[in-house]
Amino acid sequence: MSTAALKAQSMGQPLDRVDGRLKVTGAATYPAEFHPAGLLYGHLVTSRIARGTITAIDSAAAEKAPGVRAVLTHLNAPKLPEPPNAQKAEGIRLEQRVPFSDARISYGGQYVGVVVADTLEQARFAADLLTVSYAAETPALRKEDALETKQPAETNGEKLQFSKGDVEAALKNADFTRVEQTYSTPTETHNPMENSATIATWESPEKLVLYDATQYVKGAQSIVARAFGLKREDVRVICPFVGGAFGCKGPVWPHTLVAAMAARAVGKPVRIELTRAQMFSGTGHRSATSQRVALAASKDGRLQAIRHQSEGFTSPVGKYVEACGIGSTHVLYDAPAIEFGHTIHTVNIGQSSFMRAPGECPGTYAVECAMDELATALALDPLELRMLNNSPNHPTKGIPFSTKFLGDCYKVGAEKFGWGRRQAAPRSMKDGRLLVGWGVATATYPANQWAATVWMQLTADGTALVRCATHDLGTGASTAFTQISADALGLPTAKIKFELGSSDYPFGPVAGGSNSTATVGSAIVLAARALQQKLADLAVANAESTLYRANAREVVVVGPGRLGLVSNPGKSVSYADVLSAAGLPSIDAEGELKEEKNAKSAFQSFGAQFCEVKIDPDLPLVHVTRFVSVMDCGRVINSKLGASQILGGIVMGIGMALEEETHYDPRTGLPVTRNLADYHVPVHADINAIDVTFVGEPDLQFNAMGARGMGEIGNTGTAAAVANAVFHATGRRVRDLPITPDKLL
Amino acid sequence: MNPFTYARAKDAESAVALRRGDAGAKFLGGGTNLIDLMKMGVETPTQLVDINRLPLDKIEELPDGRGVRIGALARNSDAAENPLLRERYPVLREAFLSGASPQLRNLATVGGNLLQRTRCYYFYDPDFPACNKRAPGSGCGALEGYNRVHAILGQSEHCIATHPSDMCVALAVLDASVQVTGPKGSRSISFGEFHRLPGDHPEIETNLAPDELITAVDLPPLPAGARTHYVKMRDRSSYAFALVSVAVVLELRAGTIQSARVALGGVAHKPWRATKAETRLQGVKTGDETALREAAEAELAGAKGYQHNSFKIEMAKRTIVRAIVEAAT
Ligand SMILES: Cc1cc2nc3c(=O)[nH]c(=O)nc-3n(C[C@H](O)[C@H](O)[C@H](O)COP(=O)(O)OP(=O)(O)OC[C@H]3O[C@@H](n4cnc5c(N)ncnc54)[C@H](O)[C@@H]3O)c2cc1C
Ligand code: SF4
Repeated sequence: MSTAALKAQSMGQPLDRVDGRLKVTGAATYPAEFHPAGLLYGHLVTSRIARGTITAIDSAAAEKAPGVRAVLTHLNAPKLPEPPNAQKAEGIRLEQRVPFSDARISYGGQYVGVVVADTLEQARFAADLLTVSYAAETPALRKEDALETKQPAETNGEKLQFSKGDVEAALKNADFTRVEQTYSTPTETHNPMENSATIATWESPEKLVLYDATQYVKGAQSIVARAFGLKREDVRVICPFVGGAFGCKGPVWPHTLVAAMAARAVGKPVRIELTRAQMFSGTGHRSATSQRVALAASKDGRLQAIRHQSEGFTSPVGKYVEACGIGSTHVLYDAPAIEFGHTIHTVNIGQSSFMRAPGECPGTYAVECAMDELATALALDPLELRMLNNSPNHPTKGIPFSTKFLGDCYKVGAEKFGWGRRQAAPRSMKDGRLLVGWGVATATYPANQWAATVWMQLTADGTALVRCATHDLGTGASTAFTQISADALGLPTAKIKFELGSSDYPFGPVAGGSNSTATVGSAIVLAARALQQKLADLAVANAESTLYRANAREVVVVGPGRLGLVSNPGKSVSYADVLSAAGLPSIDAEGELKEEKNAKSAFQSFGAQFCEVKIDPDLPLVHVTRFVSVMDCGRVINSKLGASQILGGIVMGIGMALEEETHYDPRTGLPVTRNLADYHVPVHADINAIDVTFVGEPDLQFNAMGARGMGEIGNTGTAAAVANAVFHATGRRVRDLPITPDKLL
Repeated sequence: MNPFTYARAKDAESAVALRRGDAGAKFLGGGTNLIDLMKMGVETPTQLVDINRLPLDKIEELPDGRGVRIGALARNSDAAENPLLRERYPVLREAFLSGASPQLRNLATVGGNLLQRTRCYYFYDPDFPACNKRAPGSGCGALEGYNRVHAILGQSEHCIATHPSDMCVALAVLDASVQVTGPKGSRSISFGEFHRLPGDHPEIETNLAPDELITAVDLPPLPAGARTHYVKMRDRSSYAFALVSVAVVLELRAGTIQSARVALGGVAHKPWRATKAETRLQGVKTGDETALREAAEAELAGAKGYQHNSFKIEMAKRTIVRAIVEAAT
């Protein structure tokens, strides 16, 4: 990883979003808003059963309906070759089945047809006229009825079954204090504001353009190209803005393939935008989990064993595993014996997938609640227990963390929150009639940095254009990349234009795993260095330049848009002068970052989450009245956007703790709460003061910016902090999320 | 959505006339419920008669001290902020403000609120095959399905849906009457007679004839010094339907209940007037929580819960007690 630190000028500043104005004025064009000439509208028809086969389809009425151009089902759709199981760099397919490939139904809401018409209304109307008959079988919806139960060895190259030391012995040791409980989380469904959508336009039989709401333009390009037997460069994927995603737009889901299929069938561009209800089955969800956690500690509070056994669900059409705690259970605390394992049940429910902080979000919920129970069993303060077990070294890799300021997170958080005034006994703190509870939990998320390439062009007018096929999910990534580009080039942010969201640009990875800032930022730095090298070469070769015949290696950025000598910064020239002297209108360069494994250090972000709840003991709706979050994520590129990321993660975590739950009908297997009136996420009135603070130092072992990602960590530990506060307030331990009022009656 | 025609009425007579003979016609109020249901394919009107221009949005005093009349087209937000209602019927304002969101309340009309349909998941989503209310005779999907928001009082084996309105719970304790007009002339329906229990015809929800138009809701004056209050229990702090709600009107003398009117929301196919509790509450001291609890127990004695909603029985008891205690203080 690159070690030469980047000097922070713009980095760290609370720069306003570069695209904020476009967004609030409606001028930002989201994928579904493109309007290629002749655009038609497709509406997907979904299965009303969860398991069985289609016995007949009567499409006569739908075909005759006004405006209808085509009705595609498995009976007449072209058979696509199944694209090979993609690797990370080649796109992500979690639902392996190619849409309309046969009559088999594996989950409720599976697409059984698409109707294409001149208007959306006509398509929807005709879709209702399509009559699909089924031979229904009893769907497997619970683990007791699972079609298959497995303990897979790994997922994405990471171990799913792990063990260090003798956990069993420690758990049996009579000298140790031990807790063992099962915690469960329900199915949660990503609900970004922007529903998933694809517009497919065939420019020729060999050339396809997709306007696709995606977190991974290059992945979509690669998968769609292979599905339709096209050259990769003949598929263009455009996605300048994303209206939120939380992971659901990372994989290529069937609707994208259907859009391309339908557009080819009618010879016109076709738009398919999912309805909110379809978002509950067609674009993944966080699997329900059941997690058994056992902890043992010596009387002084030192952890002796951690065991974390998780069960989750996948579908008959894919293999995704919700890997609870694979990036946290063995990283959080030092213990001589640590074990985790995963069991996965196949049921007739749409494919589960990654959702913000996959694995770590449910995983930290279970482990951090168990830590609270252990603190109670040991009669220790729950914060003190965590402090006692904080370790500078990675507990299972035996290497140090590059930087770790978790101790500061605890201290600063405790101070800000007033933790010292906490009365230990449950139900001991009151505000009038209301019970008051204070809870704490540790947050953690691994730092990822993958591969990317950035192209950069400097123009004689002193402005720079920077491009990468990366994404801004609404997080503010374009703003952060503008700031990094500015500092890497030594230019003010106003001179930088950062472009993303097109597969025409050099490779950018999926916007997932909180990797983008680190990955793309590092590639920006490499590109800027390559560009400056080219400028330096021009400057030292130019007889008129003050830098003539200087050693190009000693030429560095000495001021805004200026190159000079390390030894004598007064001797300098402007970028613009170098270019005009060379007679060049512009100059460009690429920076390619490769994924590296660093065996000397472990890279991980940490934080502390403090929560206050107030609960009416008779009518127990939980109100989160205060939340303090202190995070160590290395350098924060933009203090405002960074805090917003953490804040958003906390809001989502509060939703997970108290509200979110996708219910499935026990007979049909269809999601029952598939709209935003019945699927609850927090509303304004649920959210009170959330105080976000960053501590720590730039992680310069990790990259030149010193930045680790922060898109997901805010969503870890939060639900546990809330649940622990609820216990402290009420004396009741609800181990089954969400904590709705009925569970506290 | 199905094709339909659209006509705009200018007054009550033309509204009724436009509908006459068209069994598939529906009046369009704020549209916050009807349009949603049309998009879902649950309501399939052939004609929409838009009544938004009807001059029925006033809230005014009735002559001779007979109370206040709320026009059927008054928006929920306007009614909530109306000075007359605010001063004389504070429970109604509380109920309005606890419902939906400000944006929805700006559109929603009083007439539409009365006729809003249940939020039973199975009713709302035609992908589910069984729902006696949507497709009579098809069975009840909720009975053995997911039934968290469903009824515990007055339901039948044909339907366990609830009426979801907050406003109506307050109207139930205000002894309101609904003014309607139709081809056969105008009439007044007392509030208790307006909504129906499901019985074996859950598809018939009110005693309003399909071609009748609601023109107003009349509120008789409350006894002098009456205390009123509305308490709503829900799954989040706002923008959620009631799990259980309670409206009360109390007449007190020296801390003792002279008369009580109590209605429950979120528990039955209609706003549930808790007459058993009301009888028991007479003569009870508002500080005597045991007696209050006994009155609530009496009302809920016949309640029946299902797999996911049995908690409502206990919640309803506690909410009744809370509403009375808070109204009295
Ligand atoms: C997301 C969401 C959340 C909500 N939350 C709540 C809540 O918490 N509490 C709550 O109480 N409500 C809630 N509501 C429901 C809301 O109160 C109703 O949708 C609204 O009151 C309906 O009024 P409207 O004027 O829009 O009716 P419309 O949708 O226009 O009409 C509803 C029905 O009434 C008929 N109708 C309308 N006016 C008349 C008339 N004058 N005479 C005869 N028939 C008429 C229509 O034909 C139709 O059948 C919520 C709604 C939504 C969408
Ligand atoms: S409860 Fe009523 S509305 Fe719901 S499914 Fe049963 S019959 Fe239909």
